[in-house]
Amino acid sequence: MAKIEIQNLSKDFDTPNGVLHAVKNTSLTVNDGEVVVIIGPSGSGKSTMLRCVNGLEKPTSGHILIDGVDTTDQATDIRKIREDVGMVFQSFNLFPHLTVLDNITLAPMKVKKMKKEDAEKLGLELLKRVGLEEKASVHPPQLSGGQQQRVAIARALAMNPKAMLFDEPTSALDPEMIKEVLDVMLALAKDGMTMLLVTHEMGFARAAADKVVFMDNGEIIETGTPEKMFTSPESDRTKDFLNHIL
Amino acid sequence: MDSKEIEERIKAEAIKQHTISVDPNAGKEKNTTINMTDGVLIPKKGEKHVFTSWRLTFFGALILSAVLIIFFPDPYRQIFITCLRGAPVTFEVTVFSIIGAVIIGTFTGLGSVSKRRWINMICGVYVELIRGIPLLVQLIFIYYAVGSLFHVEGMIAAIFSLSVCFGAYMGEIVRAGIQAIPKGQMEAAIALGLTRGQAFRYIILPQTVKVILPAIGNEFISMLKDSSLVSVLSLEDILRCGRMYISRTFLSLETMLVVALIYLIITLVLSRLVGLLEERLHKNG
Repeated sequence: MAKIEIQNLSKDFDTPNGVLHAVKNTSLTVNDGEVVVIIGPSGSGKSTMLRCVNGLEKPTSGHILIDGVDTTDQATDIRKIREDVGMVFQSFNLFPHLTVLDNITLAPMKVKKMKKEDAEKLGLELLKRVGLEEKASVHPPQLSGGQQQRVAIARALAMNPKAMLFDEPTSALDPEMIKEVLDVMLALAKDGMTMLLVTHEMGFARAAADKVVFMDNGEIIETGTPEKMFTSPESDRTKDFLNHIL
Repeated sequence: MDSKEIEERIKAEAIKQHTISVDPNAGKEKNTTINMTDGVLIPKKGEKHVFTSWRLTFFGALILSAVLIIFFPDPYRQIFITCLRGAPVTFEVTVFSIIGAVIIGTFTGLGSVSKRRWINMICGVYVELIRGIPLLVQLIFIYYAVGSLFHVEGMIAAIFSLSVCFGAYMGEIVRAGIQAIPKGQMEAAIALGLTRGQAFRYIILPQTVKVILPAIGNEFISMLKDSSLVSVLSLEDILRCGRMYISRTFLSLETMLVVALIYLIITLVLSRLVGLLEERLHKNG
């Protein structure tokens, strides 16, 4: 398992209307085995921060350490980091031209050079874990959104990551499918996976999160236990936001 | 974005290449462009109007050919036999050139989306250069210019020039195809630890192929027609066989009628095949 340290992270985007400061000098630590949930209004920089952790976005300044290794260091092989940090996207991003099983086995085979039969055995095990073993040979577009997201989680787990990032994993799902995905995530959290999530599922945050972080305007406004954040937040902005969504 | 939508975008992109635009910014801002594809219309079951016109033209051409052969065997039977002797050359040139064009196009397309500036630049210049020079000029240039250095056979020169020329158009099709694949696909692949190269090979290109297949079919048909230009390289394709026949018999009108009919029938058959291919691709999602 792993420890994620975000130190003084800033990320700017050049837009036609000038520079957008998506994340401003923000620090956050996710300890080994911890589950940290980031909440906040859209455009507050939550996803950008998450995407900086595995290098999908290149930080403008600041450092991100994973188990003490600085990912922003030129000498660090960011690909090695990505092998250890799984990511689940809002829009699933499964590969539609591959079967469910091939979606899962591709990275272990191509990146870790795992043998086909080993990879398939692993793939089937993971599918069983997310309750979809009977779907191994179908193509993703034939699955429901909830099923696709569970496959996406299995795909990330196939690389045996030390930590997992979730970027609004249930936001694109119909309400009746959210639970099946959250159940898989809860089980992961119980197993001690280090998890950093952007989500508005307060139920999940209450049940699994060690820490809830409220972000607004590219900055962390408040951090606390879910208990404290949801019942007695200190900042007015946090209160205002929670009033809107709860 | 579903695959149908992607295909629409590819098609729009392909059409843009042959578009005459009223003003240069029209394409970007309003879509007040006049679409003038130089390719044939692709008849599909869904598009009644095109399908009916296709049928009328196709069967019209077939019936006319049959009438000519049966009721005016002299000279038409002989003309048909002579001209069709050029068909193998026409097909040979077209098939090899389209293969060459797809290979060149794949590299050009990948080059245009590369993260390295200088590779983009090379690909961009290639595309601009080729698209700005008439194919006939390119053909003659390569044949005689390269021929003054090495001995180039007509067939090789023809295949080379057609590949290089259509490769530029194909490159744009491939680029549009790659860009039509949702960004999340590349991100997911990268996030799993794949290199960009692996991501292209296993994730992006296989999806691109499906999306650009109909566009490649269109290019094939255009290529078949443009291959008639190779007759200037003393290659005995359909057109040159016809012209040789004219120089012997002076039956200009009759011979060119037959040449036109042969090209027309081949093109119409191929365009229907491309239509069928598109229909199948849609059905399989």
